[in-house]
Amino acid sequence: MNETMEIIVNGHKEIVPGNATLSFLIHHFKEYDGDLIVEHNGRFVYPQKYADVTVREGDAIEFINPNIGG
Amino acid sequence: MQISSEEAIRYNRQLILPEIGTQGQIKLKQARVLIAGVGGLGSVSAYYMAAAGIGSIRIADRDCVEAGNLNRQILHGTGDIGRPKTLSALEKLQNLNPDCNIEPIQEIISDETILDMVADCTVILDGTDNLKTRKVLNRASILKGIPFIYGGVEGFTGMVTTFIPGRTPCLECLFSRDNGHNEPIGIIGPVPGVIASIQSLEAIKLILGIGGLLTNNLLVFNGMDMTFRKIEMDKNPDCPICGSNADSGLFTPKDLPASKKALK
Repeated sequence: MNETMEIIVNGHKEIVPGNATLSFLIHHFKEYDGDLIVEHNGRFVYPQKYADVTVREGDAIEFINPNIGG
Repeated sequence: MQISSEEAIRYNRQLILPEIGTQGQIKLKQARVLIAGVGGLGSVSAYYMAAAGIGSIRIADRDCVEAGNLNRQILHGTGDIGRPKTLSALEKLQNLNPDCNIEPIQEIISDETILDMVADCTVILDGTDNLKTRKVLNRASILKGIPFIYGGVEGFTGMVTTFIPGRTPCLECLFSRDNGHNEPIGIIGPVPGVIASIQSLEAIKLILGIGGLLTNNLLVFNGMDMTFRKIEMDKNPDCPICGSNADSGLFTPKDLPASKKALK
């Protein structure tokens, strides 16, 4: 991960290491809520895929906390 | 089944919609909806189900009305504080539409009670306030093949999606983890109003068999910047409830009363 890239995280431009995985980004942005939902380019990503999904230049990531109130 | 002249007047503004008409109104009249929880979400969806002329509305909640509920739980009023929520709801809904058969169940929603609650229901509307109870509803939805319309709120945001067993992901696919947050969640009243209104519209369309549903999509509402976004979802192949290696029992024998074990 020597090179960097620009991605969109929660609507904001961010510079992150190239080829970062979702697992890396979760730790990088300190998203430690155990119930976290991750959206990658408009698609829901399941937790077991976080380590496998590599983010590319310009990708959009949303870290979402589930709404459980009623 | 027919609709009466009184019903023709009451429901005129939806009967004149070509998507509904008399046949659609009869479908609504023949439907039975479970509203699981008559709090912030359930208050609104219960009102809209009764107003639309759903024939039977089963409302389940174990709680009594508290003063702190009244900023958002619009079925209940100051005079209802201390009373069972289902009794308060029964009175309001019967007043709104005496033709609806309202079935109050003042009980906790659990693996022991849920199969009786969902019996003969067309759709389950989520009005609960925690993931544990939602997972009970989800398992019953899968087991009995009943569509389940999830809604959740927090602060100025909310989420909603429609789960159809066998066709879409299930709640467990989305929320496989549960950290068991139990602390009170801040909520501004109109947000459950927005989310429960969408749940209600989904239920009506589902019963009528019309339009596009929020299936395979999680709709996320942000009331602070007034945006709606859809997140596409696939089934989680590793889901323990609906995935290929799912536990076909869904309810463990120890959770079920003797009368229910035959369902396994």
